Amino acid sequence: MQKLIETRDIYTDFFTFEGVVKALNGVSIIVNQGETYGLVGESGCGKSVTVRSIMRIVQSPGRIVDGKILLFLSLEDKEQGIDILKRSEAYMESIRGNDISMIFQEASTSLNPVLSIGYQVAESFLLHRLDEMLKETIDTLKGEIESGKFFIAGWWKKFQEFLFKAELDGLEKYTEMVAGIDKRLYELEDAADKASIDERNHLNRKRDRLRKTVPVVQFVRHLPFIKHYGKKLHKTIRIHVVDLLKELGVANPHNVVDMYPHELSGGMQQRIVIAIALACHPKLLIADEPTSNLDVTIQAQIIDLIKILKNTSIASVLFITHDLGLVAEMCDRVTVMYAGDACETAAVKDLFKEPLHPYTKGLLRSVPKLKAQKELESIPGTVPNLIHPPSGCRFHPRCPHAKDICSGDKPPLIEYSEGHFIACYLYI
Amino acid sequence: MVVVLFGVSLFVFAIMMIIPPGRRAAIYVTQEKITPDQMNAMIKKYGLDDPAPVQYVRWLKQILSGNFGYSVTASAPVIEGFKTYFPITLELVLYATPLIILVGIWLGTIGAVHKDKPLDHATRVFAIIGYSLPTFWLGLILLMIFYGYLGIFPPGYLSNKGKDILFSPAFKRYTYILTVDAVLNWRWNIFWDALYHLALPTINLILLNSALILRLMRSSMLEALGQDYIRTALAKGADKRTIYNIHARRNAMIPVITISGILFAGLLGGMVITETIFARDGIGLWMARAALQMDVPAIMFNVLFLGTVFVVFNLIVDVVYAYIDPRIRLA
Repeated sequence: MQKLIETRDIYTDFFTFEGVVKALNGVSIIVNQGETYGLVGESGCGKSVTVRSIMRIVQSPGRIVDGKILLFLSLEDKEQGIDILKRSEAYMESIRGNDISMIFQEASTSLNPVLSIGYQVAESFLLHRLDEMLKETIDTLKGEIESGKFFIAGWWKKFQEFLFKAELDGLEKYTEMVAGIDKRLYELEDAADKASIDERNHLNRKRDRLRKTVPVVQFVRHLPFIKHYGKKLHKTIRIHVVDLLKELGVANPHNVVDMYPHELSGGMQQRIVIAIALACHPKLLIADEPTSNLDVTIQAQIIDLIKILKNTSIASVLFITHDLGLVAEMCDRVTVMYAGDACETAAVKDLFKEPLHPYTKGLLRSVPKLKAQKELESIPGTVPNLIHPPSGCRFHPRCPHAKDICSGDKPPLIEYSEGHFIACYLYI
Repeated sequence: MVVVLFGVSLFVFAIMMIIPPGRRAAIYVTQEKITPDQMNAMIKKYGLDDPAPVQYVRWLKQILSGNFGYSVTASAPVIEGFKTYFPITLELVLYATPLIILVGIWLGTIGAVHKDKPLDHATRVFAIIGYSLPTFWLGLILLMIFYGYLGIFPPGYLSNKGKDILFSPAFKRYTYILTVDAVLNWRWNIFWDALYHLALPTINLILLNSALILRLMRSSMLEALGQDYIRTALAKGADKRTIYNIHARRNAMIPVITISGILFAGLLGGMVITETIFARDGIGLWMARAALQMDVPAIMFNVLFLGTVFVVFNLIVDVVYAYIDPRIRLA
């Protein structure tokens, strides 16, 4: 199978006043094209931090301190992958929401309360599909001018067209320059000598500084009255937004685009969040506990929606949850995380049939069963404080099979059987 | 609104009633010597020793019929006094407040965006200075440096040459706001002259008052930047500028707008010290004089006026709220 994204030993730390919280302790996962990948573990085990590291949106005081995150997007980088940790912020902005996008838990707080639904969804188009939208707008304007129905307004339309064309030209030039820079950056990807690293940093800074808009348009956009020329573009985008919402099963999409988040129900809000993420048909959708805080029927609807979308418009899904039932239902492969460690990675069937890691075993035993009469089993002890994590395997203080070696070095991730990876000294 | 104004007038009138009738009458006495009989006759004539409610109703009747009385401190009817003093205050406030708000919002945003970096510390130092400096000290120092040493930005509201033109019949007063009138009369030299005199008090007000808005903006911007929707915007691929300007700022503006409204209204009434130092005969100065000399009509009118200003500004603030936050629009 073709890889889509791979993390190699990422370490993400949070530099707080109490000390350095070592949230990720060398997490390595591989998400393949077309697969639904699950990430399970209890609260605070680093699931969310892992995906935020992948998108590079770990917020201050957090920082990715070590590791590699490789992205295999286009044909030319199928072999090597792009290490996004070595790329500029502007490059990441072009990736986020476009190739990788994310939906969050608690849709009600993930939507901006003062911006209309229409604008919030439209922003995805504005950020990543501006060229297509401009072309469409210019086409409609051309059609309107040629229809000859407008006598005085015709001049205004010609002016609009002129400005949109200027904007499009600027954008094309920008894309061209960015493509050049990215190509050179790709060549320098694995460079180790100082001169190349300097050049890479220089190119990254240059890419950050490039602006999408041409100065003329930027200026015109702030002029009173004339700035309204942009409305035509928003009208074009609005059509796309309405289509997208309709596709996602939002009732009355024409009205909903003018509404604000607080006017919608929880399930609708979550659909809007999904719409924002799906606007540009991402290759990877990261779903960070998308169903928590929703009631059960809505949960089922959202899960079904993601399943359908998985088949129609997105390549891969990285699904974060602490609900093992959902994992069994949704995912192809799954990684179990504990306190910043990726303990075990396996195909879903293997994991449920033959859990290897003591933590996975404990986790599966503590799932409530309908027919069970006995008291529910639990794993003794509590999750460690990540400022002073246990040495070696972070699970060893709670592990029933702990040996001396477990407190020494971190256990390496080994392939126990085909596709079943485990980091535990019991299997070495 | 009417209820609020009624309450305000009742309260202030009650305080005025504590002052004995003789002292309230004293301001109208022009002769050097006056006999107690004459004084009593005067008190009787104007009904100053009537029961307070009777006096209040009499006053209210006059107010409602548009008669605000005669102000001795302005040596003109109250309305005329208001017309001469108020535009001078209004002009300063009109120039200073938008700048105060803009500077506050701008520096506050910078502070929040560069949290705990040198720029943030610089804005904090600015804020502390603005908070803690007394108005009279800063005003005098500014005057000393600019007018005293450098010889620019004189106090007053117009140069003598400008005043000659101002009081000539050719110069028509439309709004009584100098710069606006100057433009309407197409007298650009007066316009620049007026601005030249406005510069120093404006700087003074900005330094003193933007600190509050700065601090408020910084903290509410920081709060907004920590919200979940900022994370959504980041995940969407929005650049920093979009996030600060579109996603965070509007959410951060709400407390700032409340304070801005109060600040604007407050400045309209109470710039006594600034107006004294920069020798601008504004409404603050007039009110201070009126209070010292027991000029009851002037005090009552100005209090009512300020009450109206506060009520109106609260209304404006509410409207702006609704414009910014859709959740308030429907509630």
